[in-house]
Amino acid sequence: MPPRNPITRSRGHFLALTLTLLTPVVWAEPAYDFFICANINRNYVIGSTIVTTNGLFERDHATQEWRHFGYNDTTLSAVAVDPRDHDTIYTTSLNGIWVSYDGGESWKMTNSWDMTEGRDVAVDPHSPDTVYLALPDGIAVSTDRGQTWERRERGLPDRGKFTQTIAVDRSQKARVLAGCEEGIFLTVTAGSTWRRVLPTSTQVNDLEQSPHDPLRWLAVTDTHGAWHSRDGGETWSAIAGLPDDRAIYNVTFDATDEVRLAVASWAYGVWTSEDGGESWTERNAGLPDGVRAWRVGVDPNTGRLYASIFQETLYYSDDFGRTWQPDALEGSLVNAFLAIPRVQP
Amino acid sequence: MQFLKLNSLRSIGCLAAFAVALQLPAQPAFTEPFSREVVESVDERRAQYLDRIKQMQDFRIGRYAAENFTKMDNSAISMLLTRGEEIEACNRRVIELMETPGTGPFWMFPVTMVAYTGRDRLSAEARQAIRDAWRTTRQLRGDTENHWVMYHTAMYLMAQMYPDEPGSEWWNGLSSEENFVEGRDWLLDWMNITTTIGQGEYNATHYIGEYAIPLIMLYVWAEDPAMRQRAHIMLDWLFAELATITLDGMPRGPNSRTDDYSVVERWYALATYFSWQLFGNVPAGEGYRGWGWGNYFAVLAEHYHVPEVIYRIAVDRDHDILQKDRARSRRIWRYSDEHMRPIHKTQYLRDQYAVGSHQGGLSDPIQSHVWDVTWTVDDPRDVHNTMFSLHPHSSGRVQQMFFCTFPEPMPPGVTWEGKPSYNSANKVLGCSPYEQVMQDLDTVIALYDIPPEEDFPQVNGFFSRDLTDLVEHESGWIFARGGTTYLAYRPLADYRWEPHIRYVNSRDPTVFEESGSKVLVSPHVKNGTILQAADGSEFASMADFQAAILNLPLEYSLEPTPSVSFTSLRGKKLSMTFGLNPRVEGEPIDYDGWKLFEGPHLNSELHSRVLTISHGDLRRVLDYNTLSITDRVVR
Repeated sequence: MPPRNPITRSRGHFLALTLTLLTPVVWAEPAYDFFICANINRNYVIGSTIVTTNGLFERDHATQEWRHFGYNDTTLSAVAVDPRDHDTIYTTSLNGIWVSYDGGESWKMTNSWDMTEGRDVAVDPHSPDTVYLALPDGIAVSTDRGQTWERRERGLPDRGKFTQTIAVDRSQKARVLAGCEEGIFLTVTAGSTWRRVLPTSTQVNDLEQSPHDPLRWLAVTDTHGAWHSRDGGETWSAIAGLPDDRAIYNVTFDATDEVRLAVASWAYGVWTSEDGGESWTERNAGLPDGVRAWRVGVDPNTGRLYASIFQETLYYSDDFGRTWQPDALEGSLVNAFLAIPRVQP
Repeated sequence: MQFLKLNSLRSIGCLAAFAVALQLPAQPAFTEPFSREVVESVDERRAQYLDRIKQMQDFRIGRYAAENFTKMDNSAISMLLTRGEEIEACNRRVIELMETPGTGPFWMFPVTMVAYTGRDRLSAEARQAIRDAWRTTRQLRGDTENHWVMYHTAMYLMAQMYPDEPGSEWWNGLSSEENFVEGRDWLLDWMNITTTIGQGEYNATHYIGEYAIPLIMLYVWAEDPAMRQRAHIMLDWLFAELATITLDGMPRGPNSRTDDYSVVERWYALATYFSWQLFGNVPAGEGYRGWGWGNYFAVLAEHYHVPEVIYRIAVDRDHDILQKDRARSRRIWRYSDEHMRPIHKTQYLRDQYAVGSHQGGLSDPIQSHVWDVTWTVDDPRDVHNTMFSLHPHSSGRVQQMFFCTFPEPMPPGVTWEGKPSYNSANKVLGCSPYEQVMQDLDTVIALYDIPPEEDFPQVNGFFSRDLTDLVEHESGWIFARGGTTYLAYRPLADYRWEPHIRYVNSRDPTVFEESGSKVLVSPHVKNGTILQAADGSEFASMADFQAAILNLPLEYSLEPTPSVSFTSLRGKKLSMTFGLNPRVEGEPIDYDGWKLFEGPHLNSELHSRVLTISHGDLRRVLDYNTLSITDRVVR
């Protein structure tokens, strides 16, 4: 069976380690738990025996290693955690949505047969029983901690509602933004109605809310460029200085530094901004040729920038992209980075 | 790409094949002559059918005998369990295999087959090993229709075998009841939509097995008599269409879910196995090569009785067949107003050749085959008995329409996952949004209006190494004979010849060789192909055929939009402008009015869920509404 949730386990290890060593070394208690969904599935085809370790990994700040927990699943696309109870974990995958209430010890696939290929999942911090599920054909909502799901798509187009990303506004209950094929949609009623706040010609790939300013949001698209909002997603402006003719796969803030932003693009690699998005710089020196950046993420405990390069080793940079070092997880795709405050604000 | 030491590879391959051949068991289906004669005696037909099952089982089991059954796969285990032989070896092997379970429908349905064939014969320890695997190993549902048929069938049957167990006993945390209901509901939805608006993965050359095998498992093992009857109806439905669209047992275009080999060597397909098994009208390859999962169907095939009306459609033909049928595209997630496009198939089969097509455009992201003419040969093994053209389309955006993916990774990625040609200019497999096709009997017009910025702005025409009398006529027509069939191919723009590439390893696009056939490459974005076929008996000579073709009125223009007006050999005036509805004798083709099936053998009204299968005096009506199968003899 899968091991216990490292959220609980790592604290136990931390305590055991300090007691065992009986030394004055004091590890700085990280403010966040930092997770990734990683698929190390090069050459994997459906049906074959999995020979790699895939799925959820947690950053062990003591050993500086990625530690796997939960099931070995090659298809995880996103993860969310109940802020009240870190043992309640949601992961989206090819099968749909998986829920664990015991820190990854056991899991249940709770979507119906007509929901498949979950893309993203988000928990409302003000109403943690309410969970939002992004699907290739729309959006589903659970009000019972992921046990059951119902479609909530009123206001979404009949076609054009491929939802790649969904994010709950942490400043207001039931306020949610969804990145769809035809734009960004907003609900303030927990999904009962949606309205489009940014029309796009192609898929919205990622939506992120600033950890510094809840009114500030960023969005990136397939071929419609990158966008930012300073009013909680009501209005959007195009970001200048980034290429916009090829897809940008994701965007991230740096919780340690308000002005630092980064994006990942298959075609253009990693670009960063250190002035809040006013200007951008390509940061591919030291990454493999023909970069194929899949996703970027920042460890909020350290400000370390990570770049997942398509089926290559995960890379990290401690100078926000100026230099890169290879990390572990050779041959991986990291589909999601997730930071959970250990103490809820 | 480059040619990589193919002589060495071939030598190694030959040595390996020779070594394997020394150990191969007897295979009368390969070594003995075969006959396409209609078997009139019901008893004799059944006896031959059962004999073919036995041959394949003997062969499959025999492959593992030399190693004392220590390496056998799930199909051989299932065969031995069915026969009640080598049970201890089966126990050992099952326990060993369950130590490293696979992860998805291609693992689930074979293991389900072992679980059922072994439920009264495997040891308690072996059965527990299977049960444990279904508790501990997370399975994938997959992302295509065939995946889901296999997955939900397996979950339905395994939940039926282990009822009343809580979610903690299943890998997905669902109880037996929840798993059973989910499997059942998906299967009912799939059957409903397929009998209403058509099959999604229609006329698949290989994936027919991924439907037929789960269906026969449900037919044999479902405890619910309604589910058994549904499976029976769907098996008949599937095989009736197979019988109708095959030519001497070989699948031909159009096809969803085909591959680089099957599209040129038409015999080389799992669909051919089903013709061999059900109808006996096609020879087997050495070691049943190219027939993939057929051995799994053979485990249960004795439980199925081929209806005479279906058998006769396949083998007893004395007139031309014109079928106009519907199917549906793969489900489209995004970048399209349509969830599933209707596919309109035209099938015209004669004694010595057949012409088939659909209307063009996108029907499947990678493995479609839109149209061809295919001819008969005495022995179709290793013969490229077909001709067609296509636009070699490759697009990340199209992959996004059908898959949950970003635009860039899939075009190169799928070339390492069994679709080696996908991202190559010289490929002869696939559909394109920039291709439109019309067909009237044995005439095809394919027009191409390709954006110049496309990765591969060209049209490829496949010309078999097995053609004879090939002439590039000064008129612009290319004449040839395929078997006894006369062929006239008219490219509407200049062209050059390139060798046809055969991929040696479907999971490595860098290893390939020339097949001996060739590809007509026409590097023009405004383009078209006209194909006219005729039977060898219609003309005294190739010269007469050429003269007849050259006398046919033909007008065309390529700018600004490709447009053709052509009077066919059958006297029909066919006109077509890319993007507009094609016309026959001035009348637009009424695609919206097409039935689900319409022709001499298969007839079904759209949305009716009733299929009437006809041959001569024989009628079989599959009524999915009433779950009834009715046979009649019409006098």
